[in-house]
Amino acid sequence: MGEPAPAPGEPYPKLKAHDLTRVFGRTPHTVDALGPLDLSVAPGEFVCLVGPSGCGKSTLLRIAAGLLRPSTGTLEIRTSLRPDMRLRRVARPAAMIFQDYGIYDWKTVRANVRFGLDIQRVPRRSANARADEWLARMGLSDFAHAYPATLSGGMRQRVAIARALAVEPELLLMDEPFAALDAQLRTILQDELLDLTQTTRTTTLFITHSLEEAIVLGDRVLVMSARPGRIIAEHHPPFPRPRTGDIRATPAFTSLKSELWDLLRKEAAPA
Amino acid sequence: MTTLSEPPPETLLIRRPGPQELHPARTHHRRRRALELTLAAAVPVALVLLWQLAATRAWIDDRVYPAPSTILADGWDRAAAGDLWPDVWATLKRVLAGYAIGTATGYALGLLMGSLSLVRAALEPLLDALYVVPKLALLPIFLNMFGLGEGPQVALVAATVFFFVWISTMSAVMSVPDGHRDAGRVFGASPWQMFHHVLLPASLPQVLVGARIAAGVAVLVIVASEQIAATNGLGHLIFDSRALFQNDVMFVGIVCVAALGVIFSELVRLLGRVLTPWAPRDRGRGQS
Repeated sequence: MGEPAPAPGEPYPKLKAHDLTRVFGRTPHTVDALGPLDLSVAPGEFVCLVGPSGCGKSTLLRIAAGLLRPSTGTLEIRTSLRPDMRLRRVARPAAMIFQDYGIYDWKTVRANVRFGLDIQRVPRRSANARADEWLARMGLSDFAHAYPATLSGGMRQRVAIARALAVEPELLLMDEPFAALDAQLRTILQDELLDLTQTTRTTTLFITHSLEEAIVLGDRVLVMSARPGRIIAEHHPPFPRPRTGDIRATPAFTSLKSELWDLLRKEAAPA
Repeated sequence: MTTLSEPPPETLLIRRPGPQELHPARTHHRRRRALELTLAAAVPVALVLLWQLAATRAWIDDRVYPAPSTILADGWDRAAAGDLWPDVWATLKRVLAGYAIGTATGYALGLLMGSLSLVRAALEPLLDALYVVPKLALLPIFLNMFGLGEGPQVALVAATVFFFVWISTMSAVMSVPDGHRDAGRVFGASPWQMFHHVLLPASLPQVLVGARIAAGVAVLVIVASEQIAATNGLGHLIFDSRALFQNDVMFVGIVCVAALGVIFSELVRLLGRVLTPWAPRDRGRGQS
């Protein structure tokens, strides 16, 4: 492996969850959605979470994003302080990419990419420059002034990725970003994301239903149990970085995929 | 077991390209569209012609139902002589003033109630109760409040418009999907930024539909209220000329009101298109 995957005990993890749980509803109608869960993600690491539907993957991500608080336990995100924008950056170090609803129909593609920067009150001129840079990088320059409704699903998710990365987040959270796309487009966007994250080295937490996606993208693949979600297995896909989508054709890929599937099937099958 | 010597009778079902597929749709589609447009114009024209014929042939009493040509000529004369404009202008002023007040207040309160649940809890039952009161029934109150001038007319239009815009704005803001709000929150949007970047634009298309319906209803209401309590305006003209048995003038007034309503609600629709360039086109007529 090019970059050894850090052990969970590494001294300064980027993200650390300790005894994290989340309960929904009020007594007596409570649902244990998550945990207890312990998780440690090293800086620059790309961690994929797979698990059956409703296992609390999204709950974990929403806690990390600050959209939801844990019921018990803590989740720490280590941020590098920048004196000029300390307060803002510390409060919101994460960017999130959603399966849908992420990008805004009423903003042009460029304004969508600029959105996070606008929120951080980056001056318009430099915000536009950064947005254009990301548009060029995602091959969206020709659509800068189009509205998202005129774009295909793949293009829309490219806009969402550009918007999240344009704020240079400390932590990138992706909640099944490619789930609504067809199989071919998924593969293409997986390869693009692989390329992109290997350049930016952004710490990423990526939720998916697709084992293939998890193995291609992840430094580490965590398998979660059925509700309440706990981590039941951890795998390090044995493919050195920088890797490409070609690893899908290797025997190691296939065997890891079937190994994970055996695990997951037990959890996904109705009890 | 049946013997296999004779195969069971079969029918072969074949799906073939039809005339539309064989002679690609360009001409067909265009012809269809032309037909629709022709029908849209021909039906009203035919009815007017029938009316004209009926009046000139004295199938109907042309003192009660003057011929369209009479109405047109009369309207033309009155417009040329300048008799018509004071009434049109009086109605227009009232509608515009009331519409502006009603839209502004309805929009502001709708936004507030849509985004703040405590304000909603405080005011929604009250406004819901008032919503079902026929607004024309409030005219006497407005007359007591504002006297006999322009006040009651404008207030009535404003009250009517207010409720349409308020309810469509509130429901539009409330129906903004959580996903849109989440996306803003993750980036750390402040309440004002959330409002400005997310709630306001997300709700605008639906608000504009409410505003367009309100435009039609504003014209509807002003006619009724001018009849009751005004000394000028198109509503006054319509009912006054009927009382004086000037049925041709009455019809001129009706045509003017209809034109006013159509033009007004179309203008609001155009404004909406300018304000929401991303939204799918709202092609509907005023549904009032």
